[in-house]
Amino acid sequence: MTTYLFSFVFPFLLATALLQSVAALSGRNLQGWGPALPFGLIGAGIVLFPVDGLPLARWLISLNANFSIPLTAILFSRVVRTAFGIRLLDDKALLTCWIFAITAGAALYPMALGLTRLDPYAAGWGFSWLFVVMFSLTVVLLAIKNRFAVILMASILAFNLHLLESTNLWDYSVDPLLVVVSCIGLGCHVRRKAQRMR
Amino acid sequence: MNRRLVIILFLATIGLYAWPAYQWVSTDSRDSGTFFVDPVPASITPDVPLIHKEFISPDTGNGIVHVASICELSQGRLAAAWYGGTREGARDVSIFFSAKGPGDAASWSRPEKVVDRMSASKELCRYIKKVGNPVLFSGPGGRLWIIYVTIAVGGWSGSSLNLTWSDDSGTTWSKSRRLTLSPFFNISELVRNRPLPFGSNGFAVPIYHECLGYFPEILWLQPGLTDPDIHFKKSRMTGGQSFMQPSVVAFGPSVAIAFYRSRSHEKTIGAAVTTDAGATWSEPETLSLPNPDAGLDALLLSDQRILLAFNDSPVSRETLSLAVSHDRGAHWTRIAILESASGGEFSYPYMIRTQDGRIHLVYTWDRKRIKHVIFNEAWIEARMKGTMP
Repeated sequence: MTTYLFSFVFPFLLATALLQSVAALSGRNLQGWGPALPFGLIGAGIVLFPVDGLPLARWLISLNANFSIPLTAILFSRVVRTAFGIRLLDDKALLTCWIFAITAGAALYPMALGLTRLDPYAAGWGFSWLFVVMFSLTVVLLAIKNRFAVILMASILAFNLHLLESTNLWDYSVDPLLVVVSCIGLGCHVRRKAQRMR
Repeated sequence: MNRRLVIILFLATIGLYAWPAYQWVSTDSRDSGTFFVDPVPASITPDVPLIHKEFISPDTGNGIVHVASICELSQGRLAAAWYGGTREGARDVSIFFSAKGPGDAASWSRPEKVVDRMSASKELCRYIKKVGNPVLFSGPGGRLWIIYVTIAVGGWSGSSLNLTWSDDSGTTWSKSRRLTLSPFFNISELVRNRPLPFGSNGFAVPIYHECLGYFPEILWLQPGLTDPDIHFKKSRMTGGQSFMQPSVVAFGPSVAIAFYRSRSHEKTIGAAVTTDAGATWSEPETLSLPNPDAGLDALLLSDQRILLAFNDSPVSRETLSLAVSHDRGAHWTRIAILESASGGEFSYPYMIRTQDGRIHLVYTWDRKRIKHVIFNEAWIEARMKGTMP
């Protein structure tokens, strides 16, 4: 039941973020509870709206049932920032997230799809080197006060609570959409940096 | 983040990782299981040769049926499952179930629909475009299991696996459960071959990946104490693009041979060996027997020989044959041609041995019907000696 309810979180955040983006085009002030509440209610209405007997959110879940915790956190951070002006994730944390996702994705997906005989995905089901790597990374990021550490903590917490349909730690840490978003995010970051240097 | 918060978060991190570590330590014995090899049934004695052929499913007319599997229920009853519809991959494809009472005189029940795309969509609470390959098997306590394929987008490479079970011999079935087995949108995982009992009450289910790579895998299924408490994980048998649809024969707790459907240009059956209960597999080797990129099935006989049902051609599924190996697959003796017709298709064999020692083979008969062939080891011996037509 918890897994089912949590499956509505990402679609809800996505719907709310899209509503905020559309409203931003009209030049309205989106900050504060006043605009946030109706956006949240409309977002909830959209994801719960039944189409052909299925809530709209579950149509999205039909395509990908395991949106990773970092991707959900980035979306949550964006919605909160637009609604209340609070930056939950700073640039350093986002950059760390982009690099983490691209590295993890580059290591995981080609091998999982059969590029090599080795399947790193198998390490996500039981306590393995993956857990040690994730733990070590979290500790190092905490030591340098990088907020992405909190997202990694949220990932292992979600894994322990079985919030996603998957029982594999990889799916809590990275997903194909996060890799795409990270490539775009890192590309924009590099471009901005190059422009500043000029 | 101030120093105090960092310390709190550090301690929290230790706590969060301690839980999966504790679970790993406490359940380690469950993971280190071995194959459970069926003891030879007591009733296997030099017997009169027996072979009997019948159809399970009625003629489909313009439709198709495919991918049959069979298992033994309590008191000598049998059950079979397959998929059928207007064509392979059509939206009207459903998974059918039929049972047969004990005794040779009993007939197969009228096929009942177990799953279709609408029921799967409702139970899994997501869009399902079509359903496919089911594998039916029985476990401890008489529970029946079906692992089946669903597709939301695309063709077979978009497949995901699902699980349903029945505690009343197939009269009612549980709500289906999705198995997440791939990190890439959980697609390209399919099932076709007979699971092996593993550990105390688990199964090693041969599955395969079919997308950019084509390779065989094992799904390790471990039912828990409560219904939703099903543990599973997956391991790869080999990589590449040449072999899939593994049929696994266990010789002992740790030793097994897998026979693979071949997609390679060599058009011969592949084989690999494990000596550590499926944890690792040898590099696939090709056998002397042909394979036209079609499913096959192997079964262990009471004297440790291997019986293989396969399409005896590198190019077509027009001939379905049986062969026996006495040296774990190195050499084969063809013992029977079960089907042979130009333009026909006799494919996807699936075999079990029941408690009475008989061997039951089901397969797709020209995509029109599911055929059931029953024979015993005495018949195999007679065929080997050439004393039986």
